[in-house]
Amino acid sequence: MKYSLDRNAHSFLDPRTKLLLLFTSSVFVVGNAGEKQMVVFYWILVFLPVLLLFAEREWKTGFAAIMIYVGSYLAGLALQHDLTALESALALMLYIITKILPTVILARYIVKSTKVSEFLAAMHRMHVSDKITIPVSVIFRFFPTVVEESKAINDAMRMRGVEFGAKKAAEAVEYRMVPLIASCSIIGEELSAAAMTRGLEVGKKRSCIWKIKFKFQDWIVTVFCLVCFIRWGIGWFYK
Amino acid sequence: MICFKNVSFKYTGEKESLHDIDLTVKDGEVLLVCGASGCGKTTLIRCINGLIPHFYGGELKGNVTVNGEDVNKTSLRKISRKVGTVFQNPRSQFFNVDTTSELAFGCENFGISPEEIEKRIDHVVDHHDLASLMDRNIFKLSGGEKQKIACASIAVEPVDVIVLDEPSANLDHKGICELQKMIGAWKKEGKTIIIAEHRISYLLPYITRAVLMKKGRIEREYQAEKFRSIPEDRFHFMGMRAEGMTDPLEVNVDHDEKNSFNGDLILKNMRFAYRHEKPVFDIPELKIPVGEIVAITGTNGAGKSTFLRCMCGMERKCKAVLKAGNAEWNNKARRQKIYMVMQDVNHQLFTDSVLEEVMISQEKEDKEEALEILKKLDLSEFADRHPLSLSGGQKQRVAIASALAANRSIILFDEPTSGLDYAHMMQVSNILKLLKEAGKTVIIVTHDVELIKTACTYIIRFDKLLGTEKTD
Repeated sequence: MKYSLDRNAHSFLDPRTKLLLLFTSSVFVVGNAGEKQMVVFYWILVFLPVLLLFAEREWKTGFAAIMIYVGSYLAGLALQHDLTALESALALMLYIITKILPTVILARYIVKSTKVSEFLAAMHRMHVSDKITIPVSVIFRFFPTVVEESKAINDAMRMRGVEFGAKKAAEAVEYRMVPLIASCSIIGEELSAAAMTRGLEVGKKRSCIWKIKFKFQDWIVTVFCLVCFIRWGIGWFYK
Repeated sequence: MICFKNVSFKYTGEKESLHDIDLTVKDGEVLLVCGASGCGKTTLIRCINGLIPHFYGGELKGNVTVNGEDVNKTSLRKISRKVGTVFQNPRSQFFNVDTTSELAFGCENFGISPEEIEKRIDHVVDHHDLASLMDRNIFKLSGGEKQKIACASIAVEPVDVIVLDEPSANLDHKGICELQKMIGAWKKEGKTIIIAEHRISYLLPYITRAVLMKKGRIEREYQAEKFRSIPEDRFHFMGMRAEGMTDPLEVNVDHDEKNSFNGDLILKNMRFAYRHEKPVFDIPELKIPVGEIVAITGTNGAGKSTFLRCMCGMERKCKAVLKAGNAEWNNKARRQKIYMVMQDVNHQLFTDSVLEEVMISQEKEDKEEALEILKKLDLSEFADRHPLSLSGGQKQRVAIASALAANRSIILFDEPTSGLDYAHMMQVSNILKLLKEAGKTVIIVTHDVELIKTACTYIIRFDKLLGTEKTD
């Protein structure tokens, strides 16, 4: 099999567009800015992340997200009047899910679909200092590590019979955190040593093999985000 | 050329780890640095790639030069253009999540043009047969594949010197063969190669010279021919692992095959498959002798860890049952009867002190008994220490102590000797025998031929059990 590197193999959206979209989603979906005037934009922002997941072929997560969202939304509608204390606590929880889930899904899409080096290059073009971008990119790299480590620790705890709802339930949280922090900090140190022996240093110009280009779909999403903010601004003026 | 002149080094707050090193490595040499663990091999390597003194602080005397430049006075970034490093742990040497970016990473940091990097990557992928590993998620690769990517990403960089710090520690037989090929290719290209290792057989054909270190000093220097003629038991005495390039699948252990087992454990219905995929393994029935030390070998990558998880009853989808006498243990029962000592024991030590670690495993906390167990495993003096402050071997013994405290009858080990030198491997082997004497059934998943030969009484070869052919 002959391999040839495809430098155009980047994801559907540019990293800059993704960040703008994340910001817009936080303001209008989580922050609920503009409320009723923004209804159309709101719903687009709620379902766009799922479409992006589909573009990355993450069918399972995408459909699961839709089910959870629609489920919580409908259940929230049912729990509107004459609530007992327990029911209102439940209603509050469902409300928080519908507010936060779309942005969480978007964040997941960003972490999954953005290459570290692509992210560094795009941020460099926006003149963001690598004093900020290199640590952020390490965080990207660390998500899967933390997941991997916690799975292993979880197995170890189940084997010892230390579980929530079993013996030592109160200490279970501490027992989980100690090895997680210990092993993540070892990995972190080894990782930075390895990165430095490969020439990573703050403040030095680096190149990027992935072609960073603002494509047609990036323009559409950017214009959409700007329109959201403009519509919101107009709403302020003509209250 | 690499030159050490009267080099001594001491990590901050520790004893001196290098004394008076004088060493010259000519261009194109392949130098093996060997010796028991703690002899200063890793420290020596770190002096060449600049991690000492730029990353690990301490007191450095004398000077190290790489191609005429003093490492102490040159920035890490500048050294990294000349020296590439392959580390021991494949988990922690990747900065990227996808393999292709990882190959490009070093060159990108040097600011080499993307077109040039593309050419270099295509060349390396072609030469080392890596096409099937490209554009993959590194977290989904096996240990051997990760180490292959680590080597390849150094091959992409335009470095003249390559240093490797125990690169085979986490590799199985196949992985070591791949690593060996890579080193051969580098030698052909005329790179200067320095390797710190306990496991030496795979390097013997390529080395031009070897140095033996002991307690921070270079004790002896051998020309290649002389070194190759050293007999195996002499290597063991020097702390090295000298087993030939033997495939663990071809090892036999001394026991009478026809001898019936001493009361069987029968593992039934051991089958696991990811959805829409061929089964990872499919074993209708497997007999395991009780009260013996059984090696399971020939497993690798995802198959191995899934097998272990199913065995311990962690995998819901696996419906295996373990018959022990009249009892049948389902997943839940197995979680309470089997204890696994993990490859990375850090994952299974939770508490503040060694004693507490043992006591939370007991049915009813009993300090006397816990101390007794610690004594048996030579851990008495560490009872009040934090488990994570102990050495690797001591941590492993703490995990074994908690298995004993939980009164488990089956103890499972996942690669208990990876990265250990000969003396430490023998120590593990003796502990396994101790467990056998205490009436435990010990099952070890390993590819360590020397461990199998010294400790195990039975061997189960995994490849013949893989049922994939039958199900097709």
